[in-house]
Amino acid sequence: MRVTSKMSFDLAQAQMMAARDRAVQAQQQVTTGMRVDHPGDDPAAAGVMVSQGIAIQRLDTIDKTTSSAQGEVQTADGALQSVSTLLAQAQQLAVQLGNDTYSAAERSAGSQEINGISSQIVQLMNTQVAGRYIFGGNSDSSPPFDASGGYSGDAAVRQIEIAPGLLQASSIRADVTMKGVGGGVDVFATLSTLSTALANNDGAGIRSAVTGISQSTDQVASALTATGGILSAFDSAQQIGSVAKDSAQKVLSAQSEADIFQATSNLTLAQQSLQASLAVTAQSFNVTLLNYLK
Amino acid sequence: MGADLFSLLVQSGNSLGAQSAAMSVAGNNVANANTPGYSRQIANLAANPAVSALGAGGVGTGVSLVNITQARDQFVERQMPNALAAQSRSQTESDALSALTALNPDLSGGLPTEIGAFYSSLQTWSQNPGDPSLRQNVLGSAQALATSFNQTASAISSARTGLDAAIQGKVTEVNAAANALADLNKQIQISKSAGGESNDLLDARQTAVDNLATLTGATPYTDGAGNISMALPGGTALVVGGSAGQFSAVPDPSNDGLLKLQLNRADGSPPTDWNGSSLGGTMGGLFGARDGALKTAADSVDSLAFDMGTALNTVQQNGFDMDGNAGVAIFQLGATSSGAAAQISVNPAVAANGRLLAAATTTPAASGDNTNALAMIGTQSQALPSGSNPVATIQTIVTAFGTSSAQAQALASHDGAMASNLQTLRDSTSGVSIDEEMVNLTKAQKAYEAIAKVIATASQMMDTLMSIAGT
Repeated sequence: MRVTSKMSFDLAQAQMMAARDRAVQAQQQVTTGMRVDHPGDDPAAAGVMVSQGIAIQRLDTIDKTTSSAQGEVQTADGALQSVSTLLAQAQQLAVQLGNDTYSAAERSAGSQEINGISSQIVQLMNTQVAGRYIFGGNSDSSPPFDASGGYSGDAAVRQIEIAPGLLQASSIRADVTMKGVGGGVDVFATLSTLSTALANNDGAGIRSAVTGISQSTDQVASALTATGGILSAFDSAQQIGSVAKDSAQKVLSAQSEADIFQATSNLTLAQQSLQASLAVTAQSFNVTLLNYLK
Repeated sequence: MGADLFSLLVQSGNSLGAQSAAMSVAGNNVANANTPGYSRQIANLAANPAVSALGAGGVGTGVSLVNITQARDQFVERQMPNALAAQSRSQTESDALSALTALNPDLSGGLPTEIGAFYSSLQTWSQNPGDPSLRQNVLGSAQALATSFNQTASAISSARTGLDAAIQGKVTEVNAAANALADLNKQIQISKSAGGESNDLLDARQTAVDNLATLTGATPYTDGAGNISMALPGGTALVVGGSAGQFSAVPDPSNDGLLKLQLNRADGSPPTDWNGSSLGGTMGGLFGARDGALKTAADSVDSLAFDMGTALNTVQQNGFDMDGNAGVAIFQLGATSSGAAAQISVNPAVAANGRLLAAATTTPAASGDNTNALAMIGTQSQALPSGSNPVATIQTIVTAFGTSSAQAQALASHDGAMASNLQTLRDSTSGVSIDEEMVNLTKAQKAYEAIAKVIATASQMMDTLMSIAGT
């Protein structure tokens, strides 16, 4: 091929510009650590960055809300344990004072104790977490139980998303556990009956109240099983969520991040190639016949 | 003329002229070594016809310059306009698409980030729907989402109007180039009828042809009279011999007021609308980017804004707010998806009062009822009218735009290499090699010296002859 002056200059210039371009691109990858900046750099990877990015955000948030809900259920669990202990005390008292060897005065003192137990249980059932009443169903802005054990909450069970698209109950029904809705006993009514019987020195009444206390204890135990189940579900969900997040993060990194060793090596190569190109260009400019004529 | 001394002198004088013409040509080539579009000229010398002399056969009568031709490769030159047009089209389109950064997947404040953040705020809210600060959080994210839609739409729109400004500039250039070509056709005809081709005019015309092809993708064809005319893609003539058509750009109300082309034809027929995307070259690239990938992105973002806003409004309106009233729309939208992304905003009444967010599905609404909030979160996985859920839709928008951009880049690279190769081939044939011209110059110079020597010798011989005569 016949090589002309303009041709060699044009080629040298084009190659120099290309070498510079490669050097700049390699430099950008090394400094930002990212392989994909504009969607055109790698359309499929850009799409993955969008979907995995949003997925990771979602998993992150779900993790946080699950933790908050977990805190509430743990508190509920603790409160119910205390209720259980108090009911055991009431049970013991009822069994003891059911024995007619006890005097009216002793039974009267027992009545006061039962009243005390009842109001402690009311307090426990009005537990709040972060300003929110956890035993009122969806009515969480005011205390669900009044002083005499009347229930003003609702029958709803709260739910939260513990995994994308998967809902989990995050509360227990205090109306079922404490008020006997759905075929159980009203715990407060039972305690009230026991208290009255004690105050009236009614031995038979005291003894018959024991059954009710026993049933109440069963109801609370059943609620504790439910809270245990919820906490277990939260635990699993968090573990699975953590694995899912790691996996999404891996996919995201693989698609979007520059391999730092590759990028650094590319940069070195590009810089060397640029230097070589500049040197050769300068050399070739010097070699024409003009140098040798005259 | 015979083989006598006088003839020898005259012939040598003419031969000197031929050699000095050859030197001039070499000198001109060297001077124009870097002129773009210059085809090197070759001085064609030929021996003059012999005359019979002294009955002993023919004697040559020196050398004369027959003509000055150009070194051109017709095959390469016929391919150049198309190659240049293709390169310009794909490079222009590639540059235009690369310049839009509003759809970068990692962009802070970009749609992917804000869509994710909005749904996250709904998620957090659903766990404690009565909490006023969490409600405020949702409103903040809704505002950020609306702003992100507004900004994305604005960036795409700016890109398109920016291309419009470029189109306006190119229209002026195209018209000037068309006129220049028509002019050159006329001048070459004049020069031909005066006798002989003008090499410089031919070079200038080839450059004008390449230029017009680069701008519009028009293809050249030579007519019987030796004019080079140019036809736009589709066959309509832009330049016919000595007359040129002219483009103008006017706003097109059916395309958001962006420019459309009109062609006043070379043959004088009335002006017609011209589809810019049907052109090649720079113009084709500008229209292709503006009305292709950028328009698709703009329309898709509008649809997403409208569909997402409508879906959330519908769920909100199905529920009840903290005061037990039916929910009011969170987002304000127009009647259709056209321009929705630029218009979408948060309902000021809701923005001012977080209690209006409808978390509950029954009234009177319990403060902890989150069932409607869960339904709002659910819209993240439900298909919008456009076919996919919001997350999949924004992913598709980003990928589709990226694909168009990557394709344009790949084409630009390929077309650039093609044009570059052809340019190298053309330069190889038509370019000036300084070394070669130096040799030619030296050749002509030595020949000139030799002929001068012949003249000197003939002159001496004449002197001898004259001195025989004596006084």
